[in-house]
Amino acid sequence: MSSGGGGSSEPSGVKKTSKRPKYSRFTQQELPACKPILTPSWVILTFLVAGVVFIPLGVICLFASQGVVEIVDRYDTDCVPESSRANKVAYIQSEGNKMCNRTITVTKTMKHPIYVYYQLENYYQNHRRYVKSRNDAQLRSPREENDVQTCAPEDNVAGHPIVPCGLVAWSLFNDTYQFSRNSEKLPVNKKDISWKSDRDSKFGKNVYPKNFQSGAPIGGGTLDPKKPLSEQEDLIVWMRTAALPIFRKLYGKIETDLNAGDTIMVLLENNYNTYSFNGEKKLVLSTTSWLGGRNDFLGVAYLTVGSICLFLAVTFSVLYLVKPRQLGDPSYLSWNRSPGG
Amino acid sequence: MKLYIVELSSQELVGAIQLWSLITPVNPASTWGPLIFIFAVSASKEAWDDYHRFLSDKIANEKQVWIVKHGIKKHIQAQEIQVGNIVWLRENDEVPCDLVLLVLLIHKVFAMLRLFKCGKKWTHTLQTAALDGETDLKTRVIPSACVGIDLELLHRMKGVLECPVPDKDIRRFDANMRLFPPFIDNDVCSLTIKNTLLQSCYLRNTEWACGASVYTGNQTKLGMSRGIAEPKLTAMDAMIDKLTGAIFVFQIVVVLVLGVAGNVWKDTEARKQWYVQYPAEAPWYELLVIPLRFELLCSIMIPISIKVSLDLVKGLYAKFIEWDVEMIDQETGTASYAANTAISEDLGQVEYILTDKTGTLTDNKMIFRRCCIGSIFYGNENGDALKDAHLLSAITSGSTDVIRFLTVMAIGNTVIPVRSKAGDIVYKAQSQDEEALVIAAAKLNMVFVGKNANLLEIRFNGLTIHCQNGKIILLSKGADESILPYACAGQQTRTITEAVEHYAQLGLRTLCLAWRELEEDEYLEWLVKFKEASSVLVDREWRIAEVCQRLEHDLYILGVTAIEDRLQDGVPETIETLRKAGINFWMLTGDKQNTAIQIALSCNFISPEPKGQLLLIDGKSEEDVSRSLERVLLTMRNTTSEPKDVAFVIDGWALEIAVKHHRKDFVELAILSRTAICCRVTPSQKAQLVEILKSCDYRTLAIGDGGNDVRMIQQADIGVGISGREGLQAARAADYSIGRFRFLKRLILVHGRYSYNRRAFLSQYSFYKSLLICFIQIFFSFISGVSGTSLFNSVSLMAYNVFYTSVPVLVSVIDKDLSETSVMQHPQILFYCQAGRLLNPSTFAGWFGRSLFHAIVVFVITIHAYANEKSEMEELGMVALSGCIWLQAFVVAQETNSFTVLQHLSIWGNLVGFYVINFLFSAIPSSGMYTIMFRLCSQPSYWITMFLIVGAGMGPIFALKYYRYTYRPSKINILQQAERTGGPIVTIGNIETQPRTMEKEVSPLSITQPKNRSPVYEPLLSESPNATRRSFGPGTPLEFFQSQSRLSSSSGYSRNCKDN
Repeated sequence: MSSGGGGSSEPSGVKKTSKRPKYSRFTQQELPACKPILTPSWVILTFLVAGVVFIPLGVICLFASQGVVEIVDRYDTDCVPESSRANKVAYIQSEGNKMCNRTITVTKTMKHPIYVYYQLENYYQNHRRYVKSRNDAQLRSPREENDVQTCAPEDNVAGHPIVPCGLVAWSLFNDTYQFSRNSEKLPVNKKDISWKSDRDSKFGKNVYPKNFQSGAPIGGGTLDPKKPLSEQEDLIVWMRTAALPIFRKLYGKIETDLNAGDTIMVLLENNYNTYSFNGEKKLVLSTTSWLGGRNDFLGVAYLTVGSICLFLAVTFSVLYLVKPRQLGDPSYLSWNRSPGG
Repeated sequence: MKLYIVELSSQELVGAIQLWSLITPVNPASTWGPLIFIFAVSASKEAWDDYHRFLSDKIANEKQVWIVKHGIKKHIQAQEIQVGNIVWLRENDEVPCDLVLLVLLIHKVFAMLRLFKCGKKWTHTLQTAALDGETDLKTRVIPSACVGIDLELLHRMKGVLECPVPDKDIRRFDANMRLFPPFIDNDVCSLTIKNTLLQSCYLRNTEWACGASVYTGNQTKLGMSRGIAEPKLTAMDAMIDKLTGAIFVFQIVVVLVLGVAGNVWKDTEARKQWYVQYPAEAPWYELLVIPLRFELLCSIMIPISIKVSLDLVKGLYAKFIEWDVEMIDQETGTASYAANTAISEDLGQVEYILTDKTGTLTDNKMIFRRCCIGSIFYGNENGDALKDAHLLSAITSGSTDVIRFLTVMAIGNTVIPVRSKAGDIVYKAQSQDEEALVIAAAKLNMVFVGKNANLLEIRFNGLTIHCQNGKIILLSKGADESILPYACAGQQTRTITEAVEHYAQLGLRTLCLAWRELEEDEYLEWLVKFKEASSVLVDREWRIAEVCQRLEHDLYILGVTAIEDRLQDGVPETIETLRKAGINFWMLTGDKQNTAIQIALSCNFISPEPKGQLLLIDGKSEEDVSRSLERVLLTMRNTTSEPKDVAFVIDGWALEIAVKHHRKDFVELAILSRTAICCRVTPSQKAQLVEILKSCDYRTLAIGDGGNDVRMIQQADIGVGISGREGLQAARAADYSIGRFRFLKRLILVHGRYSYNRRAFLSQYSFYKSLLICFIQIFFSFISGVSGTSLFNSVSLMAYNVFYTSVPVLVSVIDKDLSETSVMQHPQILFYCQAGRLLNPSTFAGWFGRSLFHAIVVFVITIHAYANEKSEMEELGMVALSGCIWLQAFVVAQETNSFTVLQHLSIWGNLVGFYVINFLFSAIPSSGMYTIMFRLCSQPSYWITMFLIVGAGMGPIFALKYYRYTYRPSKINILQQAERTGGPIVTIGNIETQPRTMEKEVSPLSITQPKNRSPVYEPLLSESPNATRRSFGPGTPLEFFQSQSRLSSSSGYSRNCKDN
């Protein structure tokens, strides 16, 4: 099956001329070819096999997803005092204590590590103006700290460049959570919550925050100017922008098992403003599986596609039995029929 | 592809907008990269061509030539020659510009030319290959005024040359020359083309020559006739342009809708999203920013890569045609040649073939077979007069008529005898008929060595005045109708007419030979008039013809010669196959009606009675023609439903009237009739007929071999030239040149059809893949605040069109839906191409729908499978992109009909290549997608998602294809099934290849039907009368002969003869 190697000798009788083309199977368009045709048995078998493969796969995916224990607690409205709920934006923008207590009941045993996520909804991290407003070079190296032109409007304060610059960093999420079970503190491990590659090569070990959140208006969270960016893992997580307007970001990990029936007290500091755009904030505790978090979509989709395949296989079989049709019957060629028939 | 160019420039505009960073959704490189790549490819191709042109121009311009100034020869560069310079050439030199001959050294071979009495012309010969593509020698003479001048006298020569304005007619040069004293008399000497040396010819058979340059540079005959051939636009190009236009409109609509939606969202929602920090007040032009961003996002909707892909693929098609060993003329070793690489798919859409007869259908290898001298037929018994004992004995006995007959055969012509080194005489002739006659005469002991010493002759081509023993004799030969009317009063011409009739029936070409003795006075009187006529500047040709006509009366008819021109191998089969393929044939010939009809019958062109019916349109006056045309049209309309093979026959005269006064009727007739024979047509009428068919929106192919077909070939959508015996003139002008007529079958059915199919797939697929990625971007904009964010990063966008998706589809250039044998056995399948069934708005809508469906599949699955904590931008984008790439691979695989090793390599290798490229980018720390691909590939969920995308995306399409393939099969599908399951094809094949045995079972249908070629997917051929089987008359012999009187066959030729 080689393309050029199949060349046989020149057909005899051709006179020698310079114009004579070279003979090879490629130039003659005669490469050996496999020409499959769609025979009913072949097609029915394909759909059957697809169905047989897809349905179990769907079941496995569903199992994996169902095995994940997930607790979601929406707190954005509940953490605003009753008195302030008429004007939540004013409340969130005011100074003062915004502590809030939440109680979560564990329904099923959760094996460690338990991932703590915050979930934002109706939040467009993928907005073009937002996505573009950052500078990766500046994050990587202190020499590039003046490189802020893509970061407008959060590029500099009174002529001094902001590190890290841009809307993404400026709008850093700053709600905090503390967990306790039976008044015993549940430590949240905030190390290694970001991608290792980001810590190692995207955020510099010698790049320190400068002029961050020092101008008006203040966006989100602040950063410790003593810690290099590579250690500011909340920032690193936040700056991996989400592609969807509903997204979860990792807050930390609880390294102990939680038992069914446990009551978890959450002391949270409600700082982040999602009220002005009717966004939602949720706290999520979730275990994980080989497929990731709890997501039934893949399983359901596999089951659906698998059943459609089986259905098609059955339909085609029935059609084949009811209305058999000989493949390649020359009588279907109309020019072989007499004009009357 | 005019529209396409507009698109390209709009792409450039897009690129320019993208430099404005406020708007650009991605890195400008993603738009500029592919653009620059594409322009680099096409620019370097053109630069390469230009460089080669420059080199050859330079060589031509800097070539050293000798000019004579003040009696001294000196070397200058060819580009420095000025009008009026005297150029000195040696034998085998190329002529640098158009010259008028002044002096020449007579080579000894041409010593016999001294015998010319009148005018004492010094001749030498000239090879004119570069000019008209013909390689034969042409005689050139010095003007009478310059006779006797030698090189020494040259520098004292002074005179005036009056030339017409430069034109491109290489057969005419009506100029005058006047030499100042002391040279001869101060007479005006007329010049003709015979006195010139045209640029790019080669000087042969003479040691040297001198000429005054009259035209230089681009004003030479060659320079003027070069011209820039207008690029031909194929039917498919036009369709693609239309579809591109539609997509462009769609793009604008999308941009406007999304732009408005984006601005509305910005004002209602985005201002609340504090983290986006929209300023409260913005200048008015901010309103344009979002629409412009969407314009950039959607700019990939029109695939710019299609230009590069198509250029590459078309180049390869052309190569396939040239490489095809089955299209090599075994006799001469000539391979086919594709001069125009851009129109091969049009070959598959041909509806009308207009063919020349002589040299195209026939061999143009003339052999003298029979003759009729006086009233005796020679060669009737054994078919070869040369071996007829009666004739041989008549020669030995010295019968006057026979001797005279042979004399006319031997010398009444323009043949140049050349003595080869071995001492044999080789004849060089412009006319194949004359050559055949001279050779035959030589075999009958009348050897034409040159001019015999005891003969004094004055030669004016068709007329030869011939002096012997003081007598002047006029020798004449020509077609019966141009000779017989001038026969002397007493002679009975009935035998001659019968002989002509008889030979025409046999398909032989006939010429009548005649003889008359002239009186001295009459001759001298005529000579004066002739001289007068030949120095006229206006209408010289016509005047000379008129003067010559005066001598032609009271001719004594000697007899008739019959020359055989054999039909080429495989002509009837080729015509039959192509007509089954639904192609209509028109025969355009300069030949006379009887011969044309005979040839038409013998090559399956028309069926004999009672199946076939010939309708004659004739008449000399306008009313006659009009009546005749109306009658034919009426019959034609009535017989459309009858099973009859109707053809019309028209001659040049009637055609001129019909086209001039009844164009509408004639056009209707042309549409109704599938077969036509046009005889006695001039080259320009041939072109006119092509133009009429083209104006009815038919795709036409013109095929011919001679100079008189050039205009028709250039006019037609596709011109095919046969590189035959009549020189290469037609082959040069043609888009394709082939060695034999029968290769046309393979050219159309195999190469044309494959090109069409492949290109239909390639172009629609290109749109499909671009639309796919564009739809995903549009969907994404709905969940990104209609702000114009790109889901894909710049690298992916750039590589998507140029690398990821273009390689697999390029290999579709070797895809074959049906084997060549099946196509040859079922030529009717070509109808799919003719009607444009594989590329039209409805198939395009199918691809559009497919891309929309796939975009939905990829998008929905990606955003749901990668929701919540996985919804990272780079990852999600890469998942969606991989989904597209996987679907592409399967779409190409599903649309491929035959998998060769190359297909597997490119489809699956491309998929592997995609991962390799992305791994590379994922390994660069500074790139945006650092580690992304490694992360994804280590996640089971990524692979499960891909699997789901392929299953969900391909399942329904596969099911639909299967359903159509089995329950609503197209004829192509049926043949595929038949050829691949092996069984029934054999039986059909037998039936198809032996149509004559089927004769009685199948009643043939009428072939005269109005055009029926709806391109939409509908039941096809069963309703289409074009495709119904036709059968052909039994007993038509495979070999025939044709007769043609060449002298009067084409007016161009006879006119040319007269000014000799």
